[in-house]
Amino acid sequence: MTASIQAEGVGVRFLLDRQRRLVTPMLATLRRRGTEVWGLRHLDLRIEAGEGVALLGPSGAGKTTLLRTIARVLHPDEGRLRVRGHVGSLLSVEAGLVPTLTGRENAVLVATLIGLPQPGSDALLDELRARSGLGEAFDRPVASFSQGMHARLGFALAERARPDILLLDEVHEALDHEFRDVIADVAGELRQAGGIVLAAGHDHALLERLCDRAVLLEHGSVRADGSFAEVQLAAAEV
Amino acid sequence: MRRVSKPFPHRDSSRDLARSLAVLRALTVSDLRARYGRGPARLLKWLLDPFAVVGVYLLLVTFLLEREGPAPGLSLACAVVPFQLLMLAILNAIGAVNRRKAILLNMEFRRGLLPLASVGTESVAFGASLVLLALMMVIYGVAPTIAILWLPLVIATTIVLAVACAYPASLFGVWFPDLRVFAASFVRTMFFLAPGLVALNEVSGRAGDLVRLNPLTGIFESYRDTLLYGQRPAAWQVLYPLAFSLVLLLLAGPLYRREQRHFAKVVE
Repeated sequence: MTASIQAEGVGVRFLLDRQRRLVTPMLATLRRRGTEVWGLRHLDLRIEAGEGVALLGPSGAGKTTLLRTIARVLHPDEGRLRVRGHVGSLLSVEAGLVPTLTGRENAVLVATLIGLPQPGSDALLDELRARSGLGEAFDRPVASFSQGMHARLGFALAERARPDILLLDEVHEALDHEFRDVIADVAGELRQAGGIVLAAGHDHALLERLCDRAVLLEHGSVRADGSFAEVQLAAAEV
Repeated sequence: MRRVSKPFPHRDSSRDLARSLAVLRALTVSDLRARYGRGPARLLKWLLDPFAVVGVYLLLVTFLLEREGPAPGLSLACAVVPFQLLMLAILNAIGAVNRRKAILLNMEFRRGLLPLASVGTESVAFGASLVLLALMMVIYGVAPTIAILWLPLVIATTIVLAVACAYPASLFGVWFPDLRVFAASFVRTMFFLAPGLVALNEVSGRAGDLVRLNPLTGIFESYRDTLLYGQRPAAWQVLYPLAFSLVLLLLAGPLYRREQRHFAKVVE
């Protein structure tokens, strides 16, 4: 496994109309007189195989935008981003789950979307049910799930995709201590195998268990990059 | 700038086609589960839904209202049933991107399939509506003729038009999420600007020529020809909606492809 992430001058731009609503470039052109906000700007970052990197910074610093850009959910408007390796992600509290469907039905849907082989097979679904630790709740509508249960199922799916790069955005903080241990174990094994773990959040104790390097983001750019302890100190000053 | 997304990658690869079909099926099935629920009752709900939407109206026309023309209830059903597919597909497509927000913000997948999934869902619902057409034929004693063999082509044309409308509808839903009601009114207006309530041969003069510009006219009349008049649909009734669909897809397809890269920025 030779996972790597290389960002050179990456920028992601959000366009707003006069009512401060987010709009697409086509609509922005038609409406004119809008404004733009850069979620990331001139961002340079290089992450190599085996690294665990925590993204620190205040809300709005660009942590989520960076993770979504690496996951190819968002696309750079400028710069160059190279991602080598299969990406598994858990990027929102909903974890990509549809509330009206059961955990099992969501598992089939997401497994299909992320390209798992035989997404509807009993073997895979039994494995996901066991791995998520949801028990009977696996067959209940996701609308009845707590945030932690969302994250458990989302993580089980992301992990089952056998990613080379694992992206975690705050949602892992909704998990109980038992499942945090599971995440720490998975992250450790992935890094040992040459993968990358990239996690964002505000729970520094949890992030430190997953990552030994940290990057401090501010206004969409890298302000500090180094060992977790060093960058944590810099983050306290922001 | 380097483009990292591949919204429609390797379209010629059979493996990717199989993957796209699997994703399309998964999206459609999830939509259908959310709509019809689970267990044996879902079949009943699927069958009864069209009656709840238009069946009662058709029975009212058939048994209570005095209307001229051959089998007025069946004639009306030949317009209302395909129109339901088009309208529901458009309304479904308008909300498709926002409804998939959780998925859209969490993972990369082929967003070009979202409007297709909307049509897939409504096409399954449309299957139950065909029972209404059969029921109307029974009520009016209209026996099927050899012309019914054209029905699959007519249905396929309806679905192609629904697909062509679904792409601009999805963009409309992203651009103007507050104008969903306006869009529904616009689509309903298109029904009244076509021979929906009365057949084309009952629309005289210049109006008769003008309504032919509406692609719904060909669709409605081809159902009537196939099921009511027992004759082969005229070529224009199928070809004009298909040509209209092609033009719409050529215009909206590239636009959708360009805009879908930004969906995750605007759905939050």
